[in-house]
Amino acid sequence: MEFKTRDYRAEDKVYSLTRISVSSHPLCSSPSSSLSHTQDHGSTEFFDPLRGLSTEILEPVENMAVAEKLPATQPASHLSSKKEWTSFNKLLMQRFPVPKMISVSSFSSKTIKGSKASGELSSNIQSDELNDSQKLKEGGFKIVSQQEYIKRLHELKDEIMRSWHSDDRVTTLKLSIKVARLLMDTSVAQFYPTLFVLAADIMDMLGDMVWDRIKQKAEFADDGTKICSLSDDFDANSICFEAKETCNNWFRKIASIHELLPRIYLELAILPCWRFLHDNVMDDLMRLVTMIRGVADPLASAYCRFFLLHCAQKLPQLDTGHLIACISDTKTVLTRIVSMKETKYGNFLGDRRLVTSLMEPTIEYTMRCIFKDPNQVADMILRLELYGEVPWISVILHYLLKELPVSVVCSNAVEILHLVDCSSDYSFDQCLNYKVLGLKLCEGISQVNTVDVLIDEVIQVATKRKSLDEYLKILDAYMDIILQYKIDHYLSSILSEIFERLCNEVVTEDELASLQSIIVKLVTHFDDMKYVFDLNYFVDILDVMHGSSRSIVSMHILNNATRNDHINDPTTIKLLFDVAQSLHDSVDFSSTKQDDNQQAERLIVRFIDKVDHGIDLDRHLTFLIECRGAFSSMNDLKEILVHSSNLLATRALRLREKKDTLNFIKSCITFNEVTIPCIPSYSRQLILYLETAEVSLLGGLISHSDGLLDSAISCLQDVNLLDGMRKNEDADGIVSLMRKLCSFMLMVPGTLEQGVTYIPKNILSLLDSQSWITPKLRIRVLCSLLSLFATFSQNELPYHPIHEEVFGNDSLFFGDARYTQELISLSTLILHNMVDIIPQESSQATRGNLALEACNCIAMSFNVNQEISSVCSKLVEIARSCLGPADKYLQSTINFVHKQSLVSVGGK
Amino acid sequence: MSVEIKLSRSNRTYRPHEPLQGKIITKFPSSVSHRGIHLTVNGSVNLQVRGGSAGLIESLYGVLKPIRILKKSIEVEPCGKISAGTTQIPFSIILKHKEEDTKFYETFHGANINIQYLLTVDVVRGYLHKSLSATVEFIIESELGGLSEKPVSPEMVFFYITQDTQRHSLLHELKSGGFKVSGRICTQCLVGDPLVGEVTVEASAVPIYSIDIHLLRVESIMVGEKIATETSVLQTTQIADGDVCPSICLPIYVILPRLLTCPTVFAGPFSVEFKVTIVVTFQTELYNVQPKSDPRAFRKWVAMESLPLELVQSQ
Repeated sequence: MEFKTRDYRAEDKVYSLTRISVSSHPLCSSPSSSLSHTQDHGSTEFFDPLRGLSTEILEPVENMAVAEKLPATQPASHLSSKKEWTSFNKLLMQRFPVPKMISVSSFSSKTIKGSKASGELSSNIQSDELNDSQKLKEGGFKIVSQQEYIKRLHELKDEIMRSWHSDDRVTTLKLSIKVARLLMDTSVAQFYPTLFVLAADIMDMLGDMVWDRIKQKAEFADDGTKICSLSDDFDANSICFEAKETCNNWFRKIASIHELLPRIYLELAILPCWRFLHDNVMDDLMRLVTMIRGVADPLASAYCRFFLLHCAQKLPQLDTGHLIACISDTKTVLTRIVSMKETKYGNFLGDRRLVTSLMEPTIEYTMRCIFKDPNQVADMILRLELYGEVPWISVILHYLLKELPVSVVCSNAVEILHLVDCSSDYSFDQCLNYKVLGLKLCEGISQVNTVDVLIDEVIQVATKRKSLDEYLKILDAYMDIILQYKIDHYLSSILSEIFERLCNEVVTEDELASLQSIIVKLVTHFDDMKYVFDLNYFVDILDVMHGSSRSIVSMHILNNATRNDHINDPTTIKLLFDVAQSLHDSVDFSSTKQDDNQQAERLIVRFIDKVDHGIDLDRHLTFLIECRGAFSSMNDLKEILVHSSNLLATRALRLREKKDTLNFIKSCITFNEVTIPCIPSYSRQLILYLETAEVSLLGGLISHSDGLLDSAISCLQDVNLLDGMRKNEDADGIVSLMRKLCSFMLMVPGTLEQGVTYIPKNILSLLDSQSWITPKLRIRVLCSLLSLFATFSQNELPYHPIHEEVFGNDSLFFGDARYTQELISLSTLILHNMVDIIPQESSQATRGNLALEACNCIAMSFNVNQEISSVCSKLVEIARSCLGPADKYLQSTINFVHKQSLVSVGGK
Repeated sequence: MSVEIKLSRSNRTYRPHEPLQGKIITKFPSSVSHRGIHLTVNGSVNLQVRGGSAGLIESLYGVLKPIRILKKSIEVEPCGKISAGTTQIPFSIILKHKEEDTKFYETFHGANINIQYLLTVDVVRGYLHKSLSATVEFIIESELGGLSEKPVSPEMVFFYITQDTQRHSLLHELKSGGFKVSGRICTQCLVGDPLVGEVTVEASAVPIYSIDIHLLRVESIMVGEKIATETSVLQTTQIADGDVCPSICLPIYVILPRLLTCPTVFAGPFSVEFKVTIVVTFQTELYNVQPKSDPRAFRKWVAMESLPLELVQSQ
């Protein structure tokens, strides 16, 4: 057997593709092409699969669906407000957690229990009128379960519908009154919003039914002939007498209800029907607004106004007077509650905070209605007398601020600030109003005028606050503006104030959160972290922070700092290092929140990557050593450290004097030698060992590279010890690393004392000893080894180490017969090994392919004499039996072997 | 076999000078011969005394002799035959000729006074058969009584209720703490229109429980030398529920119950008048102690103000 002689230069010339120089890099898009690209974006609609449907297609579909359900009489413009109402109601029900058991006054419990319900129906509506004293007499509360209550309401709805369809209008009305009466009982507290939603639904249903009926009467005569068809904006003159009479009757019936609240609710339910009688429905609406003033219970009146707004939206050509009146009435009610003494109120409504919180949604809805039409904002503000000297109720002000358009807020910033300033009561945290204002201003930051005055006053206001929490909350909201406009002047004073306050008290979680937000805003505002670190007290404040806030701030600082290309200021590096260390220390590696940990690690890695000590390579190595010490829990990071140190070594090679360099490279490699074993994954260790070995060979440090290869081999041996249950992918990875090792081996000069084939032999024995190496993997490694030996046998190796003091095996063992002999004997061993192992592969297809792979490798490495030829044909036979004669790989292999045998015969 | 009267208006309401029109509808299985179809209009005031301010002796009289307003009879068809199936016979009766000066009181159903107009049809059928008949009530709405035109600006009467305006005894804390509820209200009102006004609680030491508007009707009948009066509460309308905010103006808006009211009448033998009472009830523990009582009785935690209310028919 003998190796085939090869002339790599000639082969390279023959087989390599001709090279053509190009003007541009294929991956770097040229300016002209990128331009056309952006134009592309402009002209064609980008179709976002997540968004596209909802805005353009879904909307009309949904509208149509709703329109079908609704009576055709509703003008289309009301659909959106109807939808908004529905969704608002849904939120309302979710917003207040309802206790399982509700205490209700015995008055409404009668309706709920329903035992007498149907029996009572026959009694006259008016008969209840004198029962008010009885109502009080029964006094006490009863407990009803929430489910029971809701179930009863649904039953009532069904009953109402049933009686309507059986033309029993009287019962319909009586039951509806019953439902409306339930709303008088506010002792249900948290359940009230839910009760309201359910009752309002019933009222709406009644309203629709009555409307349809009267409209029917107006459009069709008794005998079904059509009189006229009413347009959406019909006027009362076109309504026939019959229809008017029916309509009048409804209003008369409702007017005869004794209690105020049910009377209002029912009239509101059929409010649009006034249009059949006369054309100035707004008068009725305004009368109802004033009638609600008679409802003293703040909760009941608030929800009643809420319902009024909803019903008003069913009218065409809506005026806005009622909105203003509603808000001003709400204001009066709240002013009274706010000024009342707790005890006095306590006896009939309990906690007034609860009451105001229950009222909040209604205020929110009113404000939303007020500012719905962007064209009327200015008018509304005028009518609300917003900038008067009169203080507002803070909860109302809050929702007002929320709804005010950003542009209005920005152009009247100082006035509104004064407004917030003077509106302080328990109904809403004033701080939060400052906050809403601040956030709104930040939204339209460029439109804010009178910034100086504004910021001055905000800081004054904040400083007046005794509580740190409030101080921070207010500042936080205005931070963006302060940063944008008044950096130098205020920042230091703010920071010193914060620090002083932090020192004086124990910092709570809430305060930390606000502080975190402030610091994050500060950090992200500046490009240069050096500037931020130089701010007085910044670092001190950072030190006071702890826990997750600290980590978040740290992450932001690192993220911000690594946006720049290089970090080379020593103090900045030091401070960032501290930040990174605190982040590292705060990460809980046992936690399951892998994402957070990974992000922290990624940021630190990026920081290390960006740190640049220029030509002071020693300093940088020391930095890497510090990093290894500081971030010992992060494994991926160690990998990066090894890469960095290798990079450092290669940089040194390029930069420095010879002698000096050698020592530096040695220290880099030593650093790696120490670092690599700490990395838990063997495959990663292997990669790093190889990389470091390459670097050391580059530096001419043969003994180091030998040592590293030894470590790599022993690492390979360890693979099985610990990771017995490796997955196939990993095995594949390690095998490819072994093959890489083989190709690297070509450059490593053999040593006499250990024998030239010391490492390949080790690999061979490894193959035998490791059970996880499947026949397939084994063949691959064997192929590589065979190729390696074949290459070693050449007179000139295809590639050499760069370093001039390192000689390849071709120069060391040129013409050495023992050397060649050893290669031949080992190759023979491998050859037999291959032939033995291929049949062990269980999968037929794989077996065939392996046989062909091995055959190709053999035919390429050896001169194809009779011995080799017989081995090859044996392998081809195996392949043929496994793959079938038609396989293309088989065909080409047969051709190749044939050609090779011709060459060697010819050569002889 | 049936006879019925269908009036031309579904609400069956007519004014005296308008013709009463409609159809007599007969449904017979076979043709029927008759001796004439007659329509009779009958209007009368029925007076009855029971309880109230009338004495025991007067109440024994019971029903007084009704006062006839109108009795007219016309023959719609002379003797003849009505064919089988449904037949409609239209009619028109003039209730009041211009030259007549009969006073047509408005239809009214009160406790002691009943003013009613009936239309009866009789189909007279020989001696052996019972005559077929049917009766409907129709409603008379008078032209504007005494007043020639609708009051342009309804007269508003100002009122105020304080601890000093009350003629009955009040709770001690009401008397000492004081209260003032003021407002104004229309005292002349068209029957078809709502009664309007406004109320403001100016001050109250004791929280208010409720403010209600009572609509009262006073029926008086001359019985011999005496006048028997019956007052009844027609409707109670709450306008304030609970301790409302002070100095806020609350609207009074009461739609008058159609069947229980009529224009104010002053006739010789009888009269129907109306009153409106503003009742302010204060919160008190006494509710729980006192038995249920007549709402008109003077209770110590209630303050009120009564005003006469003149109702006028609209044109």
